[in-house]
Amino acid sequence: MNPNDTTPPSADDALDALAGDYVLGTLSATTRREVEARMRREPALREAVEAWEERLHPLVALAEPVEPSPALWRRIDASVSAAAAPRRTASRTGWWSSLQLWRGLAGAGFAAAALMAAVLVTRIEPAPATQFIVVLVAPQDKAPGWVVQAAADARRLSLTPLGSITVPSDKSLQFWTKADGWRGPVSLGLVTPGQTLQVPLDKLPPLEPNQLFELTLEPANGSPLDRPTGPIQFIGRAVKVL
Amino acid sequence: MPATDPFDHDAALAACARGDRQALAQIYGLEGRYLLGVALRIVRQRQSAEDVLHDAFVSIWQRAGSFDPARGAGRGWIYSVVRHAALNWVRSHAREVPVDEEGQAALENEVALARHATQLDPAETRVDLGRLEACLERLEAERRECIVLAYLDGCSHGEIAQRTQKPLGTVKSWIQRGMRSLRECMA
Repeated sequence: MNPNDTTPPSADDALDALAGDYVLGTLSATTRREVEARMRREPALREAVEAWEERLHPLVALAEPVEPSPALWRRIDASVSAAAAPRRTASRTGWWSSLQLWRGLAGAGFAAAALMAAVLVTRIEPAPATQFIVVLVAPQDKAPGWVVQAAADARRLSLTPLGSITVPSDKSLQFWTKADGWRGPVSLGLVTPGQTLQVPLDKLPPLEPNQLFELTLEPANGSPLDRPTGPIQFIGRAVKVL
Repeated sequence: MPATDPFDHDAALAACARGDRQALAQIYGLEGRYLLGVALRIVRQRQSAEDVLHDAFVSIWQRAGSFDPARGAGRGWIYSVVRHAALNWVRSHAREVPVDEEGQAALENEVALARHATQLDPAETRVDLGRLEACLERLEAERRECIVLAYLDGCSHGEIAQRTQKPLGTVKSWIQRGMRSLRECMA
């Protein structure tokens, strides 16, 4: 018998076991709903679930593929079209705000924000070599909150606030980045609201276009893990400016 | 489902979030048959499995904006949405466990299949499960079977006990210990 079998389970073990059972699929309908509700407000549980999803995901390759009937895609397409129409005018919260955000990043809103940021950046720091700009916007209303700027040759970047925000006293804002192809996000440190943060980049690869930056709400001393655990407060992707 | 597939699932999800229906069509075109395979194993009725896949794709479309590439791969996220849609369906429809002779024979075949699928003989393995494969191989065979029956076939503890002809408590503890070993092995 494994010696671990006799160790009394800690609260973390219980949480991890629940997350594992949720991903494995053995829980009842009621417990599944409870876990899904708790995941929305308990980052540690969500984190544990995500880790289990990643661990067990390769098993899906054991399921034999089954060709869907031709009618299925037409049904999906019709449902998606029907769902798409009201979304353009609705202003609900939830996933839709994120959709707004991404549409905004891709469209005119983002261009305007980037332009505004560019103007601002030249005022703050007239360095001509700024090569990457990231406007970090709030997921809810796309309001630009911070600007990240970096010169391609300089081995640091700056994170500049565009306004004042408040963070609960028992929380902190943590700055993260992840380029396409990286295994996970990298913490760039904790952020003080209202203050510019300078981040040395000597331990990171050079910035890439489309590299993701985000600020998440974390416990007072930052995320206990090597990745974000709290909700996204501001998010954006790097744009090369020349 | 080649491991080296160059399709960028993260980018396709970002495009969905921008309202690009073509990106959703691409995901479906590439993954639809594998996702239906995953859903059908759990739901076990063709029409219901297609219903589950329909709902899951609408959900993928609606939730694409909440997908955070910093927290995991897009492909895994898509499979999770489908698997959990299938699991929610099967748990809320309280699948009856067939107990007649024919049903029992079918179950035994399925257990045999699960056993076969998890023997993981390098010469016979059809797919590469990577690190997970090595860790599954280190588990005792019955623990491995229970985990695969749950994950792939959507079996509850009770169903696994019935299938493997083992007491419920034994099945629960096998799964618990198997999962703990997997976690340690993959840490």
